[in-house]
Amino acid sequence: MNRAAWILTAFAALSLAPLLYMARVSLGAGGALPIAPQDWWAGGLTLDHYRALASGGPIGRFAVNSLLVTGIAVPLQILLSAAAGHSLARGRIAGRGVFLGLATAFLILPRQVTLVPLYLLFAKLGLLDTYAALILPHLADPFGVLFMAHYYETMSPELEEAARTDGWSPTAVFWKIVLPLSGPGLAVVGVNGFLTTWNAFLHPLVLTTSESMRTLPVGLALFAQSEHSVDWGALLAGSTVATLPVLIAFVLFQRQIVEGLLQGSGR
Amino acid sequence: MNPLRPDLTHWVGAANYARALGSLAFWRALRTTAIFVVGTLPLTLGLAYVVAALLSRVRRGETLFRAAIFFPATLSMVVISLVFKSLYAEEGLLNGWLAALGLSRVHWLQDPRLALASIMAMDVWASVGYYAILILAGRKTLPPEQLEAARLEGLSPLDVERRIVFPHVKPVILFVVLLNTIRSFQIFIEVFVLTRGGPLESTLTLVYHLYERAFYHFEMGYACAIAFLLLLFVGAILLLQRRLLSRAPSEASAS
Repeated sequence: MNRAAWILTAFAALSLAPLLYMARVSLGAGGALPIAPQDWWAGGLTLDHYRALASGGPIGRFAVNSLLVTGIAVPLQILLSAAAGHSLARGRIAGRGVFLGLATAFLILPRQVTLVPLYLLFAKLGLLDTYAALILPHLADPFGVLFMAHYYETMSPELEEAARTDGWSPTAVFWKIVLPLSGPGLAVVGVNGFLTTWNAFLHPLVLTTSESMRTLPVGLALFAQSEHSVDWGALLAGSTVATLPVLIAFVLFQRQIVEGLLQGSGR
Repeated sequence: MNPLRPDLTHWVGAANYARALGSLAFWRALRTTAIFVVGTLPLTLGLAYVVAALLSRVRRGETLFRAAIFFPATLSMVVISLVFKSLYAEEGLLNGWLAALGLSRVHWLQDPRLALASIMAMDVWASVGYYAILILAGRKTLPPEQLEAARLEGLSPLDVERRIVFPHVKPVILFVVLLNTIRSFQIFIEVFVLTRGGPLESTLTLVYHLYERAFYHFEMGYACAIAFLLLLFVGAILLLQRRLLSRAPSEASAS
């Protein structure tokens, strides 16, 4: 190995070490942390914390909520991004520039700014502490809409026009021609949407109040806030569970994640 | 103010803004943000630049190194904060190592002089990979012929880096500077999990202040004033970025 590779090995190790530590604590017995270097190997490994998590503990409930919210929100988010992006790219709709400008503004501007209005809106609708409150804010994804609009602008409209002259309805054109040709674009939108939804924190925090409605990030963060006797084993087992889907998405879609990042997904 | 009861809500003009601009917490939060930017940016940017340079130089295993270094950037900030809270804990790994070396414990998150620095260290760890990927992508848009030509002219690797690569990736670096600044204005999860703004408000950030006012004290009007000021700050930074970026090409052609 040359010198660059050695230095990079050190960087890579530093970057992964905290995550290995997380996994190690989650596989240890009891709730205490291994503190001294020699404790790292002592005590053996056990799946106790994961068993507790799977057998109906609150952290298991958080995980189910996260899976449910992500499972429902992301497909809808993908579909809406494709539909809105396609209309913006192809349709001669009034106020197209306004929509594009708004989407760009929401992409760049800090989400935290809309937190209080969002809370008040859901309070007025009587939807606080419901799955709707967890899912609805994810559906309109400015990055997805803009990315797909750009994607369709660079895609030739010939096929669509041919189908339309053959008498196909706009809906049929969208489902049978546009969507099947959108795979690469939707993969970028989908994996970035998955990451933002799965990792979402601020709005799930303020729009829910009961423990049974918490998602994984929110539930774990609130558990860690209780100053007395933090059960580190359970917490870091929960963190590991929160990390695994991200790891899988990363392994499968790293290229799409990087592309989304370079195109400015506002994560 | 109770926004769900319009009959109890009344027009206060600029009172909420006056209160924000006159409150100690608001200025403390701004100072925290400033310290955060000044403290993390040089380190994060320097490390990210070095990592990107090394990644572009390594002959084998670039994909693997890149993945390992970039992965933390895709993680939930909650997970990162939890792991670091366990590392920083009184009975945590860092103090365990200090004890093994015969040193006394450090109160990483309880000492008002240290808490912000501890969060900043975590932020550097969490963002180097992200910025390294951006800078690496910038480097890769440099035509290889240009590098080859420079090498044939007898420029040393350091000169190639300084005279050709660095000017080429300068816009990306400027972008990273602004992105880091904007993100520093928005810090919340780290503070929520690790310190809740304490000790002695030493880690109070603008968004944490907003959250606390809105959802612990239900001062929605005041919180919205803070949100609007946040919007103004970020907007101003973005305008500044535009000015700087539009000036960059003319500079390049002049030199």
